[in-house]
Amino acid sequence: MMTPQVSSRVTPTHVSVEPFHVTALGAWRAWNPLIMDPTDQEDDHVMDQFMEKFKTQKYMGAFNEDTWEEEFDKIPMFMKKAPSEIDPQKAPDLACLQSILFDGSPEEQAKSYKDEGNEYFKEKAYKQAITSYTEGIKKNCNDQELNAILYTNRAAAQFYLGNYRSALNDATAARKLKPDHLKALIRGALCYVEIKNYTEAVEWCDEGLKVYPNEKKLLETRAKADKLLRAAERDVRKMRHAEKKKQAQKESLLSALKDRGIRIHQQPPGEEDEQEEGILLPFDTLSSENATGAHVFQDENGRLNWPVLFLYPEHGQTDFISAFHEDSRFIDHLNTMFAESPPWDEDQKYYADSLEVYFEDEESQTFYQVNPEATLLEAVQHRRFRVKAGTPSFLIFAKKSTFCIDYFSSKKVYRLPSA
Amino acid sequence: MDPALCLELLSFLKPETRADVRAQALEYILGVSGSPEGRQSLCAEPRLLCALLDLSTEQSPHVAQDAHHVLVNLTSDCAAHRALLAHVPTLLPSMLSRLRDPGCPFADSICTALCNLSREEETCQSFLRSLTQEGMCQLLDMLCAPKYNPRASLDYLGPLLCNLTQLPEGRHFILDRNRCVVQRLLPYLQSGSTVRRGGIVGTLRNCCFSHRDHAWLLGDDVDLLPFLLLPLAGGEEFTEEEMETLPPDLQYLAEDKQREADPDIRKMLIETVLLLCATADGRRLVKQRGTYLVMRELHSWEREPCVKRACEKLIQMLIGEEPEAGLENLLEVTVPPDLEETLSRLDKEEEGPQGTLVQ
Repeated sequence: MMTPQVSSRVTPTHVSVEPFHVTALGAWRAWNPLIMDPTDQEDDHVMDQFMEKFKTQKYMGAFNEDTWEEEFDKIPMFMKKAPSEIDPQKAPDLACLQSILFDGSPEEQAKSYKDEGNEYFKEKAYKQAITSYTEGIKKNCNDQELNAILYTNRAAAQFYLGNYRSALNDATAARKLKPDHLKALIRGALCYVEIKNYTEAVEWCDEGLKVYPNEKKLLETRAKADKLLRAAERDVRKMRHAEKKKQAQKESLLSALKDRGIRIHQQPPGEEDEQEEGILLPFDTLSSENATGAHVFQDENGRLNWPVLFLYPEHGQTDFISAFHEDSRFIDHLNTMFAESPPWDEDQKYYADSLEVYFEDEESQTFYQVNPEATLLEAVQHRRFRVKAGTPSFLIFAKKSTFCIDYFSSKKVYRLPSA
Repeated sequence: MDPALCLELLSFLKPETRADVRAQALEYILGVSGSPEGRQSLCAEPRLLCALLDLSTEQSPHVAQDAHHVLVNLTSDCAAHRALLAHVPTLLPSMLSRLRDPGCPFADSICTALCNLSREEETCQSFLRSLTQEGMCQLLDMLCAPKYNPRASLDYLGPLLCNLTQLPEGRHFILDRNRCVVQRLLPYLQSGSTVRRGGIVGTLRNCCFSHRDHAWLLGDDVDLLPFLLLPLAGGEEFTEEEMETLPPDLQYLAEDKQREADPDIRKMLIETVLLLCATADGRRLVKQRGTYLVMRELHSWEREPCVKRACEKLIQMLIGEEPEAGLENLLEVTVPPDLEETLSRLDKEEEGPQGTLVQ
């Protein structure tokens, strides 16, 4: 590399473009002050003449009195911080310095970029570090060890930015160049841990341990990866277990429905998203969640519990029973529900004994009355009953109310034989 | 065999002899090496032993194979070990270096012979000396390499390692905390041949006699317990709460999960867990991690009486009361000689009828 030179042509207010003593870009550590030799009479004389000029004319390139501080900061020597990117248009002096810094053979240049990258890395400026390492890699120098270091360091910078894939690619590249490069092996293993490929992580550690059997970081990472691997395997088993259980429940539920002869309302094809698996159709319709998310389930005795909807057309009200045991009777529920008058029943017409229960067969638009003494199972087993949206629903009217009479006046209704 | 005959045979084995004659003579020796008396007379002739080692590196694969078989036969006899090592000083180094050759076609025979040689404490001692730590590392690498030698299974590396760990020096190598040794053996408890698995379980059991290492073995660095329990666990369903007490490795196993097929290995695994119960801390950890559940299920599944008994002993430890103060470390309790005698007699009596049953 060229030795930086020190200029002696310094004026009190202006700094020459030529380079100063530079140790690293952006870090102006020292500069040699101008030393005037008092014995050199001739120089003194020139200097005096030079200074004399400014009494009459303005010095070219002088700072503007208002913005001098800003301008001052732009001069390489007085910069407090180097810009992260150097634009040769705006800062020709800096660009010039930089080009001198990165002079020499590809190896020397690559090394300078590595050093630069390391400076950035220390400051946690990972993006800039990556740019520097990339420049170094681009030099494609013949020193494979240096190249391996450049890749490994770039991998580390990528790692800290969370770019684990890129980091892994770099660690892999470094390992190809230098198979026993410890830092590349550690970085690679750490990357595999991050991307949850624990088997590979363990493998990388084992490779590293072959060369460095006592390396703490490798031992640690291996133990960590192994533990995570086993936990991940457990999670897969757990998921499979849960799926299997769900599948078994589903099958048992399906056969329970089949045994009971309960019919499910079939969605006309094309109306909603197509269901391809015919066998699953009844179940999926069943489980299609209603607003509360409740759906039919089997209890420990294999009995079904349904979410049930009661509709009160007269008042536009509904009641939702999230788990209606198939062996309990309508009257049981009605007794509890109407033990107290609901707020909407201003006329006090709705009480357990005054209620009539119906269901509607949408297909034939016919209503069927249900005996309140009947169990839910008996109701849903009716040959015209269809379970819709997974929730059996029933209409409730106050016996002999005018609304009830009006409601059914133009409709087909099958009533129970009156007692 | 007559010593004179030995000498005659020796003359046939010389390199200048016709190949077919040599092969014939070797075949005869192979036959002789099958009986204890034959082995004794072969070992009485040092030159013959040296000639055998030379023949094992012979070009002709047939001759070399036979020579290796003679070596396996000879080493199967503990009485021959001393003579072999004394008369053929190059035996161990030469066999070890051929074992390390990934292209050696006789590596399995060599491995078997070496395993035989390491069985007795005395020869094991010299074995470890000529092996050194580096040699141990290589053995481990060979054991863990997916296919170190395409022409050999090297399954006897397992029992070899087990034999080597009968001595503290061998155990120190496996239990080196600054290296990754024992951890690398653990995955093989799930796979490989019965010979290999048995060897590795034996190695672990040997290592568990050193109670100072129990805390480390049971801790996060090694986490030995789940690896020992997994081969003993079946696919039984546990409740959610029970499942949570088990180590993750044993949770939600498939219904068709198979237990270790070999009863001896099952027994050794149980004994290893039992050894880990020697200290109070060890017992606490073993109890905490659902060992009882695994043993309970194993006990109802197990058909082999001796394994069932080992299982009962461990369960007794798991549900029994803590020993009184001063006796917490069961590996350090001194048992009076007369009591020890009684106990071992009782153990034998227990085994007695079983022996006939098994037959």
